[in-house]
Amino acid sequence: MIDWSAFLIVSVASLVSAAVLVSLYSFGLRLLTTAGRIPRVEPHEFTGAITVLSPKKAAKQLKRSRKAAAANALSETQKRLALYGGYTCFALSGIAVLYGVYLIVPALHG
Amino acid sequence: MPDFSIIIILVIALALVFDFTNGFHDTANAMATPIATGAMKPKVAVGVAAILNLVGAFLSTEVARTVSGGIIREGDGGVLITPDLIFAGLIGAIVWNLVTWLMGLPSSSSHALFGGLIGATVIGVGAQAVDYNVVAAKVILPALIAPLIAGGVALVATRLAYMITRRDIGKPDGRGGFRYAQIFSSSLVALAHGTNDAQKTMGVITLTLIAGGFQAVGSGPAFWVIAACALAIALGTYTGGWRIIRTMGTGLTEIKPAQGFAAETSTAATILASSHLGFALSTTQVASGSVIGSGLGRRGSTIRWGMAGRIALGWVLTLPASAIMGAFAAGLALLGPIGIVLDMVLGTIVIMALFRWSRRNRVTHNTLLNDIDDAGRVVDIKKTPRRPNRRNRKKVSL
Repeated sequence: MIDWSAFLIVSVASLVSAAVLVSLYSFGLRLLTTAGRIPRVEPHEFTGAITVLSPKKAAKQLKRSRKAAAANALSETQKRLALYGGYTCFALSGIAVLYGVYLIVPALHG
Repeated sequence: MPDFSIIIILVIALALVFDFTNGFHDTANAMATPIATGAMKPKVAVGVAAILNLVGAFLSTEVARTVSGGIIREGDGGVLITPDLIFAGLIGAIVWNLVTWLMGLPSSSSHALFGGLIGATVIGVGAQAVDYNVVAAKVILPALIAPLIAGGVALVATRLAYMITRRDIGKPDGRGGFRYAQIFSSSLVALAHGTNDAQKTMGVITLTLIAGGFQAVGSGPAFWVIAACALAIALGTYTGGWRIIRTMGTGLTEIKPAQGFAAETSTAATILASSHLGFALSTTQVASGSVIGSGLGRRGSTIRWGMAGRIALGWVLTLPASAIMGAFAAGLALLGPIGIVLDMVLGTIVIMALFRWSRRNRVTHNTLLNDIDDAGRVVDIKKTPRRPNRRNRKKVSL
């Protein structure tokens, strides 16, 4: 009576979907970094739970990422390609999420 | 047509209260990490979580059907369970939930609910009234397996995330960008929470309506039930969030954005897939499994077995303990109307006492964010290697 195949479905489905999502987003980040657009995320608000960069440290980080961008061996075209590739990856991961939601809502596909 | 008795209204009210506390308790699961890593403003995070819980509750009703149609066996003349017994089961579940919450024991509201219901049914109707096959297939096994699945998935996802973004030491790897991704992944967790946890209350209310003769045996939840549960859990989430924001200053386990993103994606994927198949699992346990798994996915990590054992103990205890509470309450309820009143009074006294006690101890980090946070501490991670000094750097970089 215990439906073992259901467990298999759950594990495979979650593994595949999580792996695809995470990989797509990671590739997006990787390509952005390659293109010299390193995302620097500053905390929006002091919450006490995060290490907040001092202005000095933040400036240092900015300098480092500028330097890395300047030392980029890629040509402008390659950089642009990488950038668009990155954006495509982000878009794809967004579409993957929407598709997942579409799959689990019975109301959307009868 | 049976009359709309007071007991049914009581059960519905109590079930909604349970739903509220569930949302209240679980906001942290979804939103603690993005708030902690600074990905979202606390106010925004809590609002988004509430709305997505509301939406999620409408998306799928598979789990509600499991609860209302599967666990309690139906006799010849419909369901054997009476609203009185459901009432008793709910009291048992709520009391156990509050006890564990205040003691800082990780437990699952869902299992407390099932435990209470099963205990009440066994005492009130007899052991044969519980469909153990369904309990095993859709409650106990998913409870054991889902966190493992989530943990495994999180491990793989974390490895992938780190592998893909890995660059030479000293070069910026852009992993801070995972914070933006966390906004979406934690929103997915909130959505998944709605598809699984709000359903349980819907199932209970539907079960009550079936038991009371208002609905056909085997039918799904009515629209007003879905809407009421969705609202209750969303309100609970919103209110719970405010407490979290207040206590945020006490600090969280260190979870890196990449790791948090991988963990949340795994949690959401596992819960959504399970909800779709009607498995009533505990969102808290799945989230804990993911956090542990993603910790193991990082380099230089080891498990602290003591902490892991403590968490596992809380999980194992919940079902039997709340079953005993539910059984006790059911025993009282069998005395007739006096028993029900007694149940209510006792329940209220316990809840008030616990509330007073919690007020005395103020809200601490320990009582509030314990579940996921404990899971984070299960894995010990060595510090990431330092950036090499200038002389050594020449050998590695560029």
